Amino acid sequence: MTIIPAVISTVIFFGSLILIFSEKIHRTITAIAGAALMVVLGRILGFYSEEAALEAIDFNTLGLLLGMMILVAMLEPTGFFQYLAVLAARSSKGNPKRLFILLGIITTILSMFLDNVTTVVLIAPVTILICEIVGISALPFLVSEALLSNTGGVATLVGDPPNVLIGSAAGFSFNDFLIYSMPIVLVAWAGALLLLQYLFRKELSKQPRSVKAIMSLNPAETLNEPLIARRILIVLGGAILFFFIHHALHISPSLVALSAAAIALVWVQPDLQEVLKRIEWGVLIFFGALFVMVGGLEHAGVMNSIIKLLEQASDVPPILFGVGVIWIVAVLSAVVDNVPITIALIPVIKGLGESGMDITPLWWALAFGAGFGGSGTMIGSTANIIVTTLSEKTRTPITAKLWNKRGLPVMLLTCAIASVLYVVMFQWM
Amino acid sequence: MTVSSCMKRNVISVHPKTTIREAASIFVKKHIGLLPVVDDDDKPIGVIGMRDMLTLELPDFVSFLTDVDFVHDFGAVEDVHPSAKSLNKTVQTLMKPAVTVDEDCGLLRAYSLLVQHNQHDLPVVSKEGKLVGITSRVDIGTAILSTWLKADK
Repeated sequence: MTIIPAVISTVIFFGSLILIFSEKIHRTITAIAGAALMVVLGRILGFYSEEAALEAIDFNTLGLLLGMMILVAMLEPTGFFQYLAVLAARSSKGNPKRLFILLGIITTILSMFLDNVTTVVLIAPVTILICEIVGISALPFLVSEALLSNTGGVATLVGDPPNVLIGSAAGFSFNDFLIYSMPIVLVAWAGALLLLQYLFRKELSKQPRSVKAIMSLNPAETLNEPLIARRILIVLGGAILFFFIHHALHISPSLVALSAAAIALVWVQPDLQEVLKRIEWGVLIFFGALFVMVGGLEHAGVMNSIIKLLEQASDVPPILFGVGVIWIVAVLSAVVDNVPITIALIPVIKGLGESGMDITPLWWALAFGAGFGGSGTMIGSTANIIVTTLSEKTRTPITAKLWNKRGLPVMLLTCAIASVLYVVMFQWM
Repeated sequence: MTVSSCMKRNVISVHPKTTIREAASIFVKKHIGLLPVVDDDDKPIGVIGMRDMLTLELPDFVSFLTDVDFVHDFGAVEDVHPSAKSLNKTVQTLMKPAVTVDEDCGLLRAYSLLVQHNQHDLPVVSKEGKLVGITSRVDIGTAILSTWLKADK
């Protein structure tokens, strides 16, 4: 490895991470600038080329995300998410504890199949509505929805972006996630729910002031487009079925998602401009730019030196190494976005595999760390940022101090549960 | 025709240090929709509208949901009122930038400004920038419609 490319690519990558962390510039703008700088300097210094940059982009990840985003963008205006929340509100009869559990379960199930961010964006506004008309504070519900969707999303291949990345890099199928990740996540999730119920016990024991208003909500009225909702749900259900067998059929999850999106588009024929507006292009571009940046690090030889360094630590027992990965990645994901962390660690883990280490358990450790770590701080995951921003426009804003008292314990508990179960399940991984 | 022909000259305005509670009492007593906020020289530095006042009362969810048609009963929020603390804040904290026109502004331009800024009332200023009157959608609209009637004859 020559030293100048290594230093320059490291400075670009960590400079971008610091800028993303500081939130002074939008993370996507930082990533695009960083990626462009990496390619330009890479060409000048001869360590990176445009072809190599294109090759570094994992189109499988981008395709899966885009496909799911199109489906959700079409489902969103049908009012289906309001429908679910109103159904939960009615069956809770305004009882805050029951509402808390029902909304928690709905958020989790949605976040297992849809992106966490989307789930929270769609469920949080209805939550505020329900809480306001019942006469209870929405704050415990919003915080819990973000935390439970962070936690629940780890269970499936499509549940959160780090899993999509890991699944694609490690070649894990949808079912691999159900077998190895889901059981651990279910325990961690139940722990998180119980802990949140305990932490918010004071707020949740308040008496609802207006139960009548809740019972006057009619779920059927919340569905603006029942027919379209049904069609998209059928396609989404079909996609999930194909996720179960994609591995056996030798098709990639991204092909399943994009085909489902294509079928839904043809069947519903929505206003395309409206659908395209709802897709989070910023997120997709952010991913693409990060791939290009990390590709630069790889080509400059930085990843190789990290891998060599880690190999020297190979006398550490593999179980301990895995638990270490969970916690280190969790702490990193709590302070910076977990997507750049995951994208940067993928080549490192791949490299360790090439040097003979059994890396299958390490992929799972990365998934748990990246997924659960995001709960730790207000900026740890996009879902957290979204509920915080929403709450700032309400009368009870979420503060960083509150997050330390509610989110951080959830991160610590879920990581602890994951570590214990990781050790227990290690021999089967 | 210019706005000076269809404006009210006795404008009620407030000082930026007026509290929201005092502003509310003026809205109620005078039955108006917009209060220009003026500095010591009578120059408008902002406006506070009925809509801005009512954001303090409106439930948070209304701004987040695209459609609230399905909410038949607003339940507990019906009797949530702004706290004493928020009523004791000054109008300066709630006011919006003032959209004003000169006295010799044409009716159509004045109306277009109202449409573009989604406002109902339009403060009118003199050449020196002092508040001299206020006109409304109805004032301008009736002035425009009356020209149609004259043209018919």
